[in-house]
Amino acid sequence: MSELKVKKPSKIDELKAMTPKDRNRAIGDLIMNNAMFIIIAIAVVGIAIAEPSFLSVPSIVNIISLTAAKLPIALGVGGCIILAGTDISAGRQVGLAACIAAGLQLTTNKLFPGLPVMPWYVALLAVMAVGAVVGFVNGFCMAKFKLHPFIVTLSTQLIVYGCILLFLKLGTNAGQTLSGMSQTYQDLIKGTLFRVGNTAVPNYVLYSAIITVIVWVIWNKTTFGKNMYAVGSNEEAANVSGVNVTKTIILVFVMAGVLYAITGFMDASRISSVNATTGLNYESDAIAACVIGGISFVGGIGKVSGAIIGVLLLQVIFTGLTYLSVDQNLLFIVKGVIILVACAIDMRKYLVRK
Amino acid sequence: MEEQTPKKEPQSSFRGLYKNVKISVKTLDKIIIGGIAVIILLLIFGVANNGYTVSFNSKGGTDVASQDCMYADLVAEPEPPTREGYVFSGWYMDENCQYPWDFEISQVGGDMTLYAGWVKCE
Repeated sequence: MSELKVKKPSKIDELKAMTPKDRNRAIGDLIMNNAMFIIIAIAVVGIAIAEPSFLSVPSIVNIISLTAAKLPIALGVGGCIILAGTDISAGRQVGLAACIAAGLQLTTNKLFPGLPVMPWYVALLAVMAVGAVVGFVNGFCMAKFKLHPFIVTLSTQLIVYGCILLFLKLGTNAGQTLSGMSQTYQDLIKGTLFRVGNTAVPNYVLYSAIITVIVWVIWNKTTFGKNMYAVGSNEEAANVSGVNVTKTIILVFVMAGVLYAITGFMDASRISSVNATTGLNYESDAIAACVIGGISFVGGIGKVSGAIIGVLLLQVIFTGLTYLSVDQNLLFIVKGVIILVACAIDMRKYLVRK
Repeated sequence: MEEQTPKKEPQSSFRGLYKNVKISVKTLDKIIIGGIAVIILLLIFGVANNGYTVSFNSKGGTDVASQDCMYADLVAEPEPPTREGYVFSGWYMDENCQYPWDFEISQVGGDMTLYAGWVKCE
């Protein structure tokens, strides 16, 4: 890290000092390693030219708000990826949290007939507890039985989905969409933080910023964060040097579960109607964002800023494409190819570094 | 779990989720360039697509104007055409009038022609 920082100012001099062949290769590496950023930049310029209102204040505020809404889940998945794992149950966990949060905040509650509207902090604590439990199960199976994270989280994904469906069938709800949440809850999340011109910035942008700062402190300033990087880059070595690997893995997944729960808590109010498809495919967006942002599947590499950049870039490009009314079905294919290319770039960086 | 000998780190092998991946920088370059080409093509295809034309073949009846629709749009039902000696029986997706087009449900998926169905007057 520090080595890189010393090198940076003299990069141009370094290029000049190289033989032409080396220079070409260095430039080639630079272009290849940043290919995703270059292509997204070109796309954004193209969209802005085709549709100038894309750069208007409401559109930019919209992009920032959506980025804020998706940031906590990306940070949760990011932690799992730093452990050289991943978490494909993230989206469903967000869905479950959204259902529970909505279920405790309905004004006319069909799930629990007669239940009054709970204070918002009860709902928040409840979803965080549920998220922590699911995260614990994920982390425990991975740490104790050394199961591959894909297998563990695939099973919890299905289990959580089953729980969502059962939850929505409680009382007299019969699986319907939950809507009509209390005004306090709506204001808490969607209330106006401040205005840019005539465009309101919602409160959840602030919450998301606070969460990001907390995660940054945990990742960078605590022993637990340092242990997380150590376990991710080399589990054996971390174990030998006295890191409690099991505890670290479990805690990372619990933290991820709590972050998904907060995402769900915000989403229920943000979207105002919650059903069984809430949270579907969120994990693929989050994983794509992390990989684009340089949180590597190699393990032990990645920064909070990377997750922010990744989520923001994906949001910019997909909002832009929606502006141009590109067929939504096509966007799934684009997303898939983006993940593939981002992984290839990720591997390439790792190989070249060696 | 993974046996990492402290003496030498293997030159081109990965850790983590890429543990068993064997791939060279050259191949990765090809994947990256190929993938980006696919993304660009898809985006150009998606952006350049200004909608589809739905034309109506009235098969001998009065002419019906074609419509421009976006992907997944519903087609607005046109005024039924007329033809001497025949009664109009609806629009069909094929020339033999086997598959009727439901204007309430069916979505546009590309350029297409709808055919008029006619029943002979007795």
